[in-house]
Amino acid sequence: MAGEMKLGAYICKGCGLGERLDCAELAKVAQKEGKAQVVREHDFLCHADGLAMIGNDITAGVNQIAIAACSRRAKAEAFTFDGVCVTRANLREGVIWVHPDTDDARETTQEAAADYVRMACAEAKAMRAPAGNPNRGGSKRILVVGGGISGLTAAREVAAAGYEVLLVEKSDELGGIARHLYRRVPAKEPFTEPQETGLAELVNSVCSNPHITTLINSTIAQTSGAPGRFTVEIASTGGNNRSETVGAIIQASGFTPYNANALTEFSYGRTLDVIDQLGLEKLVAAADGAPITRPSDGKPVKRVVFVQCAGQRSADDGRLPYCSGYCCNTSIKQAMYFKDADPAIDTTIIYSDLRTPGNGEDFYRSAQRKDITFTKGKVSTVTPTAAALKVDFKDLILDQDADIEADLVVLATGQVPNSGIDIETSDEAQAAAADKSILNLTYRQGKDLPQLRYGFTDSHFICFPYETRRTGIYACGPVRRPMDMAQAMDDATGAALKAIQAVENAAAGRAAHPRAGDLSFPQYRREGCTQCKRCTVECPFGAIDEDEKRYPVFNESRCRRCGTCMGACPVRVISFENYSVDTVGAQIKAVDIPDEFSEKPRVLILACENDAYPALDMAGMNNQHYSAFARIIPVRCLGSVNTIWITDALNSGYDAVALMGCKHGIDYQCHFVKGSELATYRASKVDDTLKQMNLEPERVQLFEVAITDALRTPKLIDGLVAKVIEIGMSPLKF
Amino acid sequence: MAKLVPTNETILVAGGGISGMTAALEAAECGKHVLLIEKSPSLGGRVSQFHRYFPKLCHPTCGMEINTRRLKANKRVHILTMTEVTAVTGTAGNYTVNLLTRPRYVNENCTACGACAKAVSSEIPNAFDYNLGKIKAAYLPFVMAYPQRYVIDPSIVGTAEGEAANAACAHDAIDLDMKPESFTVNVGAIIWATGWQPFDAAKIQPYGYDRFTNVITSVEFERMMDPSGPTGGKLLRPSDGKEARNIAFIQCAGSRDRNYLKHCSRICCMATLKQSTYIAERYGDDPDAKVSIYYIDIRAIDRFEDFYQKVQADPRVTFIKSKVANITEDESSGDPVLHGVDTEGYHRYDNRHDLCILAIGMQPSVRAEEIATGMHGDANGFIETNDENGAIFAAGCAGNPLDVNRSVQNATAAALRAIQVVNRIAAAEA
Amino acid sequence: MSDRRMAVGNYRNDFLKEVEANVEDGEWVKMCMQCGVCAGSCPLGPYWEHPPQEIFMMIRAGLRDDVLSSESMWMCTSCYNCIVRCPRELPITHIMHGLANYAHRLGLAPKMNPTRRFAKLFWNNIAAGGRANELKLSLGLYFMDGFATGIKKSLQMLPIGLGMLKTRRLNPFGLLAGGNCKDRKGIQAMLKKAKELEDKRKGFA
Repeated sequence: MAGEMKLGAYICKGCGLGERLDCAELAKVAQKEGKAQVVREHDFLCHADGLAMIGNDITAGVNQIAIAACSRRAKAEAFTFDGVCVTRANLREGVIWVHPDTDDARETTQEAAADYVRMACAEAKAMRAPAGNPNRGGSKRILVVGGGISGLTAAREVAAAGYEVLLVEKSDELGGIARHLYRRVPAKEPFTEPQETGLAELVNSVCSNPHITTLINSTIAQTSGAPGRFTVEIASTGGNNRSETVGAIIQASGFTPYNANALTEFSYGRTLDVIDQLGLEKLVAAADGAPITRPSDGKPVKRVVFVQCAGQRSADDGRLPYCSGYCCNTSIKQAMYFKDADPAIDTTIIYSDLRTPGNGEDFYRSAQRKDITFTKGKVSTVTPTAAALKVDFKDLILDQDADIEADLVVLATGQVPNSGIDIETSDEAQAAAADKSILNLTYRQGKDLPQLRYGFTDSHFICFPYETRRTGIYACGPVRRPMDMAQAMDDATGAALKAIQAVENAAAGRAAHPRAGDLSFPQYRREGCTQCKRCTVECPFGAIDEDEKRYPVFNESRCRRCGTCMGACPVRVISFENYSVDTVGAQIKAVDIPDEFSEKPRVLILACENDAYPALDMAGMNNQHYSAFARIIPVRCLGSVNTIWITDALNSGYDAVALMGCKHGIDYQCHFVKGSELATYRASKVDDTLKQMNLEPERVQLFEVAITDALRTPKLIDGLVAKVIEIGMSPLKF
Repeated sequence: MAKLVPTNETILVAGGGISGMTAALEAAECGKHVLLIEKSPSLGGRVSQFHRYFPKLCHPTCGMEINTRRLKANKRVHILTMTEVTAVTGTAGNYTVNLLTRPRYVNENCTACGACAKAVSSEIPNAFDYNLGKIKAAYLPFVMAYPQRYVIDPSIVGTAEGEAANAACAHDAIDLDMKPESFTVNVGAIIWATGWQPFDAAKIQPYGYDRFTNVITSVEFERMMDPSGPTGGKLLRPSDGKEARNIAFIQCAGSRDRNYLKHCSRICCMATLKQSTYIAERYGDDPDAKVSIYYIDIRAIDRFEDFYQKVQADPRVTFIKSKVANITEDESSGDPVLHGVDTEGYHRYDNRHDLCILAIGMQPSVRAEEIATGMHGDANGFIETNDENGAIFAAGCAGNPLDVNRSVQNATAAALRAIQVVNRIAAAEA
Repeated sequence: MSDRRMAVGNYRNDFLKEVEANVEDGEWVKMCMQCGVCAGSCPLGPYWEHPPQEIFMMIRAGLRDDVLSSESMWMCTSCYNCIVRCPRELPITHIMHGLANYAHRLGLAPKMNPTRRFAKLFWNNIAAGGRANELKLSLGLYFMDGFATGIKKSLQMLPIGLGMLKTRRLNPFGLLAGGNCKDRKGIQAMLKKAKELEDKRKGFA
């Protein structure tokens, strides 16, 4: 931002601040130490009156604003002023509510407040108002990869919202697995009979839509770029390759039925009369109303047994550990194929837990009404005999080993996601699997979407099911998690929205979730960069590529603004306009450090703004007191913490530094995926520095904190202060 | 949040739980104008009352924090709390919606400083804790409540208590003369996200929820396990405050039963598995800690199977395939005694527990047919996906018994369905 | 595990179909989802060898002899607790009586089962006169297991009997004759016809 910078500092006296603090003194601090050109006190700053006062100052040229009042989490809407930088000194939740209202505490409480005013002024001075990423691209067209139920639905829904679609299908026909389905499980009242799949209508609606371009026999040979400006090379089996520009991508690459050949105990592959569910659909479709016959000898099927969870819910090697979720309803539907054709056919479903959630219960009841027999049991083997198949199982209700004869056995095997290459495996493994790639991304971190578990590309976040780690690329359908057709269609519709949102965000130069709307973006000083590649390796979202000289290429629209690159950079050349090594560094430096003999230690807390900082606010709201020697700075993510902040703080006389961030590991809670994990790793490296400085390792701590830790966080702070008192003040105070 | 003049390019979202918030935010982050209304004084709905989520055991508050931050930053969502829809008329692209706002008696000046609560001594049942505890009659519904603004309970309006609250407010934020306000808005599409309510446990008479103090529901238990809940997170049973160690869960309490709810509520199996970990976590290796789960089928669908396997591996947790027949109370101890038959091999039991938790079923808060004339729902009142419903789309549990993840997924889809309608209007008017 | 359980049925639907065709409300058997609430709700539950839900599974497993020769369904006292509680609306009480009746007619019901014997006694008593003869019924019950036990039981009940006589709740002449309904012959003809029809319907004719 060009032009003169002018800082205004506003001290609120409401909510008891005026009674507990010497606000006139704080105003002096803002003016003298904070170097604020305009300083004003107000009895009730968030009131329309106070806001108008600030607005008038902005009109008169103030463009950096330090609000000394409540937490940045409170009255956020009131204290939002467009086009200027706003910082908040948290005097309410962070000072008067967490320190006792006693004469003894008055001095240290005032000192804490003064420090927060200094910090807010220093931060505001180091900030520039962001104007949004200029490298936006303009494409609002959505690429849909995969022409099955999920992909077709996504294409239809995107087009219905008025956006252009490019639909790419690998095979020579649209429809995917659903093409082989005779009927589908009902999705409407009365939930009693199998329904038409509706595939033909769906394909028609896609093919006849002028906003949808469909390419069959085509795959994605290469994807590069970022939301708003992806370049996609499309290879066609006919050799008709082309290059297209799209704004966002929906990956609906579906699933492959589990390969039942591994199920030797069920004689799959040994006899034609043991088939999987998809095999049965084909058999029924082929019969087309005529009696369903055995594949081996063409005799009509009189007895059929369905084996649930075949090769699923098993920890054994080569089996699926998960439940595919749809198979109970599918077996019910398939048993109905037989019963509806001839009620005399014996149909038995052997299950261990029948999983028909929601209105599936009606479908289950309908099946029972049709005389389909349900037996709670565990099938051990299926063996061909002279004229039939023998199914051995344990009847769990009658608690006996039993067997049943069948003409045909249907195995309810599950879904295996078509998720391309697992980018977490070795380079060799990835190279060997190169032809499996779905997207062929040119990204530094690998060719496909990162996988969460068992090959599924699902989001790890319960509240945010579409948060894949590649901005602007959204997986939907069974590639994301095991699901049935109804859920896949719903999922595709949701993914369609996310893709549309991604192109709109990219066009406006703003961030996507979870910092939606953020206009800041990472910038780096090329002349200072040592091409160490830490930023490109550590970015949790694979946003940063490398150019031919191995300098980072930021792809701003792929960036989620967590600042992990900034935390990674050993030479500190990466920054955001409103969040940088300087904005935090200036706050650290602004704190007044009393001398070694003052008995007033200073403890720096770098707190994740998503969880730890709200937890500390909650502590304030619950009047949980903690030491007035702590100074808390919210950070976007612990991943953004540059170790220079820690060493600078210790060098300038802080007695201890604590990092408070989210849980990491398999059930990580970090909303930037890797931030807290990387911070832990980096903090472990600080020990060497501490040794060089002759400081005790206890002076740097990292705490895993959850947002609900309102009672625990004050204890952690007090514990750290007690530790400092135990080991003594820092010798590095000047 | 900002002022908004609704037009037929505006999307109305009814219900401010996780589904409604999601639908509103996803639409607004695509550039649409949204009017988000919520019946209660704050957003968050049932999710804000959960201690943890399955299967990650993370805290719902974390996602709520991100969502409220998104709302604070988004000027396209206009929020009206304490507001309900009283009537909907019209057709896709042009709905007239009558709204009724109940008085909060606190205006936008409120800073949530808490002075009014300090000045008031009367207490009301704490609805946030399913009335297990009490809260001041001038209150913030819960510590994370958004909008962060107090509420004066109508019971103290016109009393000395009300005046005391008013006098304590230094910010001119209390207005005891507020009246209910009816008004009408015009919108293009409606997302119905009124969520679910727990089935009335007292209706399951053999379980004696209304007679036995130590028979509680899963939603109540969830509040008890929250450190900020009515027992401070301690597992104290209601009758005598004794620590409960031997705990029973009864699955399908109301669900899968033609006497009560005929559908499967989907979430209760996973909720129980989750809650069993609370107990395991609290008691560590204590050999007296026991969890018994009485079930018909454990429906731990898709990747949730992992979680089921993990709980199954815990030796303190026993699974009994049985719908419990009835509960009696041991008079001297207040222990609930569960009677029934383990159907796997036929074993009769009369099991005594410290505490019994009913994994209560889910039913829609508002039935489809109550929304507007001609709305199609299923037999259980959940809104159907049906072209004849025009531009009124269900999001989350208003349309299906869903877990949080699928509710959010569904709400995201609902947002697109609404966008399709308002985009058609915009294109036609352009 | 009992010997019966070793004698595994073949899990064919034959017996289920037989039950559906011949047992009153037998078509409901298939609707059971094995929750066990009937078994747990039955006040006589602990005395059943096989509770209803298990019987339903045995029917599906084709354990015909085990089911039909079982004493279990004879335990039902028609309290209707199971029907009230069943989440699948199975008329369990009716099915139990239907099974018992079917087993009886096939001659497979346990001969010495007291419920069955009482039921027979009652039926013969009421069918004979078109109206229950209480004195004959009670005495028949006392002497069911032989003369000696009959005398013993009668003596035990003597004080009650005398008391009932005094308050005119018992007619001593019932033992001799009378007490029948007006058209005894008509009732008997009607019952005969009903049995004929039922036998024909259920294939016993």
